[in-house]
Amino acid sequence: MTESRARTVGPKPQLMPSAERHVVALGVLALVLVATAMWSMTIGPTDISITGIFTALTGFDGSREHLIVTTVRLPRMLAGLVAGSALAVSGAIMQAVTNNPLASPGLLGVNAGAAFAVVATLTFLPDAPTGFHVWAAFAGAAMAATVVYLVGSMGIAGATPVKLALAGAIVSAFVASLTSSVLIFDKTTLDAIRFWSIGSLAGRSLDNIATVAPYVGAGLTLAIVFRRQITTMSLGLSVARTVGQNVGLWRTMAAIMVILLAGGAVAVAGPIGFVGLVVPHVVRLLVGIDYRWILPFCAVGGALLVIGSDAAARAVFPAREIPVGVTMALIGAPFFVYLARYRVGGAR
Amino acid sequence: MSRALILMVAATVLLFAVALGQGDQALTPGEIAGALLGDPTTSPVASMIVMEVRLPRALLALLVGVALGVAGAIAQTVMRNPLAEPGLLGINGGAAFAAIILIVGFGLRAPTLLPWCAFAGAFAMALAIYLLSWRNGASSIRIILIGIGLSSLAGAAISFVSAFGDVAAVQRAQVWLAGSVYDARWEKVTILAAWLVIPLGATFVISRELDLIGFGESSARGLGQRVHVVGALAVLMCTILSAAAVAAAGLIGFVGLIAPHIARRLVGHRHLRLLPAAGLVGAALVLAADLIGRTVIAPAQLPAGLVTTLIGAPFFGFLLWRRRHVAG
Repeated sequence: MTESRARTVGPKPQLMPSAERHVVALGVLALVLVATAMWSMTIGPTDISITGIFTALTGFDGSREHLIVTTVRLPRMLAGLVAGSALAVSGAIMQAVTNNPLASPGLLGVNAGAAFAVVATLTFLPDAPTGFHVWAAFAGAAMAATVVYLVGSMGIAGATPVKLALAGAIVSAFVASLTSSVLIFDKTTLDAIRFWSIGSLAGRSLDNIATVAPYVGAGLTLAIVFRRQITTMSLGLSVARTVGQNVGLWRTMAAIMVILLAGGAVAVAGPIGFVGLVVPHVVRLLVGIDYRWILPFCAVGGALLVIGSDAAARAVFPAREIPVGVTMALIGAPFFVYLARYRVGGAR
Repeated sequence: MSRALILMVAATVLLFAVALGQGDQALTPGEIAGALLGDPTTSPVASMIVMEVRLPRALLALLVGVALGVAGAIAQTVMRNPLAEPGLLGINGGAAFAAIILIVGFGLRAPTLLPWCAFAGAFAMALAIYLLSWRNGASSIRIILIGIGLSSLAGAAISFVSAFGDVAAVQRAQVWLAGSVYDARWEKVTILAAWLVIPLGATFVISRELDLIGFGESSARGLGQRVHVVGALAVLMCTILSAAAVAAAGLIGFVGLIAPHIARRLVGHRHLRLLPAAGLVGAALVLAADLIGRTVIAPAQLPAGLVTTLIGAPFFGFLLWRRRHVAG
């Protein structure tokens, strides 16, 4: 009895130092991502083999199959890559900064805010230059995040998980109603973005992705470069102050990263929920609480989850277009319920 | 009868009258009265507009509002949480999911079957929320969080079913889901009225028990109440009311949250007065939302559900601000 307890409490026997183990695990995960990405490009109404994909990417010859790969399947996969990694990393940053297991861009209304801004731009400023809607998405994300955080952190207790989740649900409902009201006026926009507005990878072009990729890339780079500061923030406000962190500065930096990442993801793939919630939690189970490792794992894992589940939905229901936002919610909502049941402990 | 109650009745009657008079075709009060009283000298067009279009629509809005207001009052009392609302708790989502399966999946549109189906969905959802949040007792915070989770699950399931459905059926379902009394017919009004009789009656009968349960579980038990029986009965009534409202008019959010709060300010906490007041305020809210929705951007129409959300969400923020120092 005592022996078995000692075993569970003591450090686990390790074959190699944890940093090396993490590097190996990250490499394996990246390989799985590459394999999944290749597989996802083979799925579709036209049969294209893995070798066909390779030749299309390396030696484009203008044939119909190669056109399908470069104009439909590759953009779709890249959209999943960009959106998945961006949402997962922004969710991880939000969970670190707010110390809140339920924080994620979908639940806290950031995605809904960005989506509304994009819809409003497309409806009211149809002649705006390309790329303008990306900035609108950033502005919408920033506004929604600010409102949710202000509403959720009122009072002595500060931003408790429940208050933030409620504020997020309310702001999401409000902004979604605004979006619907705008779309009721404008049938053409509604047709064009019906799938996008639930979160979908369909119908993206390489141009769309190229417009957004620099911002998401900047957000990911910032997150990886400043992973130590994010780790410090995850230890709580008082610890961060004690070790001499400029809390205001780094919270602002974190907010900028979240807005770049979530806004960019929404601009390319619509408001996909739950990626930012689920992936950081699963990653934490794998690598522990160290955000220096959580962030890169989230970037790879988020892309893997979005590309994989989108491809799986297409493989299982070949005749139907199921928006990836729906697939993610079907996977993620039960996970949220699990978190609410077991992880938001102590909150009575 | 207190002055506040008389005031509310007057406000509801006034809104009802405006709802009858307002529309693409302007009608004089004389014509409306004539049509309502069956005066043979009224023009047949006016009488047709009032009796077949505007009266059922106004009545449907009224009944939906009553159902949502009372359901919200019950939910807030039983959960002892002023933020509880059937819409937020996912009960409405469950009803909508079951109904959309019926409409899109089976292509059925029988208005008699829809409430049963919505009730089954709402009941299953309420049960699921309660069971999942039961861990050494069901804390109201866990209930709210799990309600949010299950409600987005229901939303995703609705989109999932919609992706497979026949496009025409999906579009019909979308209009209905947005929360609108647009498609009001006498048949719907009578079915909704029939569904409301029993739960409203039962709720008023147990209004004193609801007073007790509002004091807290241990106080209620100390005063000799069988808390779980009363609580289960109250939640059942709440579920029936929400499901009937959803089946008739789709998702109209936040009325169940706002109406009881306004009612409590007007008449206090006693349920004998609170319940009718909440019903009246709910009716006035839905009537007003429908009026706003069909006048501000006429000839286009905003569904009432969108209007109530646009009004209700800021109100919810205000409630959170008022409760900002409450722990949890």
